[in-house]
Amino acid sequence: MSELIEQISKCIERGKVDKVSPYPPDMRDQEGADELSARAIEEGLGADEILKACNSGMQNIGDRFGRGEVFVPELLMSARAMNAVMKHLKPFFQSGTVKAKGKFIIGTVAGDLHDIGKNLVSMVVEGNGWEVIDLGVDVKTNKFIETIKQHPDSMVGLSALLTTTMGNMANTVKEIKSLFPQTKVIVGGAPLTREAADQMGADGYARDPQGAVGFLNGMLYS
Amino acid sequence: MTDRQWETLVNIINGERTEKLPVGFIIDSPWLPNWYGIKIIDYFSNDDLWLKANLKAINDFPEAIFLPGFWSEFGMCTEPSAFGARVTFPPDEFPHAHKIINSADDIDDLVEPNPKTDGLLPFMLNRLKLAQPKIEDAGHKIKFAVARGPLNIASYLMGTTEFLTTLMMQPDKAEMLVRKITSYLKNWIELQRATFPTIDGILLLDDIIGFMGEPEFRTFGLPYFKELFDVDVTVRFLHNDAPCKVSAPILPEMNVNLFNMGFDVTLNELKEITQHKVTMLGNIPPRDVLAAGSAEDVTHAVIELIQSLEDRKHVIISCGGGMPPDVKTENIKAFIEAVNNN
Repeated sequence: MSELIEQISKCIERGKVDKVSPYPPDMRDQEGADELSARAIEEGLGADEILKACNSGMQNIGDRFGRGEVFVPELLMSARAMNAVMKHLKPFFQSGTVKAKGKFIIGTVAGDLHDIGKNLVSMVVEGNGWEVIDLGVDVKTNKFIETIKQHPDSMVGLSALLTTTMGNMANTVKEIKSLFPQTKVIVGGAPLTREAADQMGADGYARDPQGAVGFLNGMLYS
Repeated sequence: MTDRQWETLVNIINGERTEKLPVGFIIDSPWLPNWYGIKIIDYFSNDDLWLKANLKAINDFPEAIFLPGFWSEFGMCTEPSAFGARVTFPPDEFPHAHKIINSADDIDDLVEPNPKTDGLLPFMLNRLKLAQPKIEDAGHKIKFAVARGPLNIASYLMGTTEFLTTLMMQPDKAEMLVRKITSYLKNWIELQRATFPTIDGILLLDDIIGFMGEPEFRTFGLPYFKELFDVDVTVRFLHNDAPCKVSAPILPEMNVNLFNMGFDVTLNELKEITQHKVTMLGNIPPRDVLAAGSAEDVTHAVIELIQSLEDRKHVIISCGGGMPPDVKTENIKAFIEAVNNN
């Protein structure tokens, strides 16, 4: 791994977005993921290689999150840093130089305005090389159905934070699976357990973003 | 809450052992309307139905301590509405508030609400005032001032992702926001206490605490919760059913003496990390057992929980979090019976 790629990976793990970003305090005034990835492309480093740096940085921070060493704000900052890199890689995805692993539709279920879990999963999955179609929050079942019709090869992620919206999540899973039995649906959210996900008829459950990535990649290679 | 229930609650908090372990539940709009058989919108908009639903709960389960007891609320919209947040009441669903802060710079212009006149707060207070004679006729008193916590309200006003990112990127703005909300909440709690002199407890509900690491919580949470709980009342009650391993050891420093948690940490562990200074209200899984399980499942889970307790002091048996939707009468009766028999 070149020094530049290692620096990009480190910026993602530490959540250093760009030079003007004050976070993290010990990297103040240093170049961030934005400047370094632009320079990497200028120097002719492959988009694939830069994407691997994203994966490695997100994997590291995801593992630390799973061990309870860092928390949601740190993970969000890493995701922002990764987004700064993805902005530079977008043309490579569009031209086909870099191919996305697949499409992932995600949204927070109807009645729930919490975006935190959905955003984290969305950003981490994107950094892992998937094309993410983010439907936002308070997403009605019909919206999921319409989007699946437009992207029939996609997998679907449903998020919820409130215990009170678990019922809506179950209804959405049921509806999707009845219309598109082949479409894989993964669910996640603070009040959820694997047992509850199984009862809903979901194909997968993830307690954190890395779990979602693991599920999607597992489906890809299964 | 009856005087006797209050006395029991205070005794438990003071570390006294009771003959039977007490049972307590947070009950509010996620459970009551459906259980009582009315539409959610009727529960929120009809003071008489709201009162009848609450009276039926206390009559059907006289042995349970319902907290805060006769909670006049409009779901997650109550406090954000006073800032001018658009509130949405979808048919047959729970209401929600929309964010009003689109960038950290908007925080400078955020006007501190007047709890006497702004948003849904006057409706909340007036409903309780009108119901007070009937509540007291039923032998109960209004004992708690209640509010969502400052971090929870900040995340509603700004969006959770944006708020948590602002903590890292613009900490001065984040502190300004939490400071403004805390000032508003102090006035709101004070107004409730002035309106109902029977109030002798404060309940704050805030699950955003669970998303933070200790340094962030110590900067953006602890000073403000301390300030809010620094009131001359007997019971200082916090609800956070998101992860609590990081914040639980800080509960005594926050002046909290009663805590309702999620179910990811055992009661024994929580008592240990709070140095046995905080009474625990929990922690049967609310949805998977209390709502989705059978009466036998509930009985089994309650017995298992009680048998696991290393020390029966400072414990009120409840679910981890508030009473979720769709919990049936038979499950609550089984819960109470299992506690009474063990």
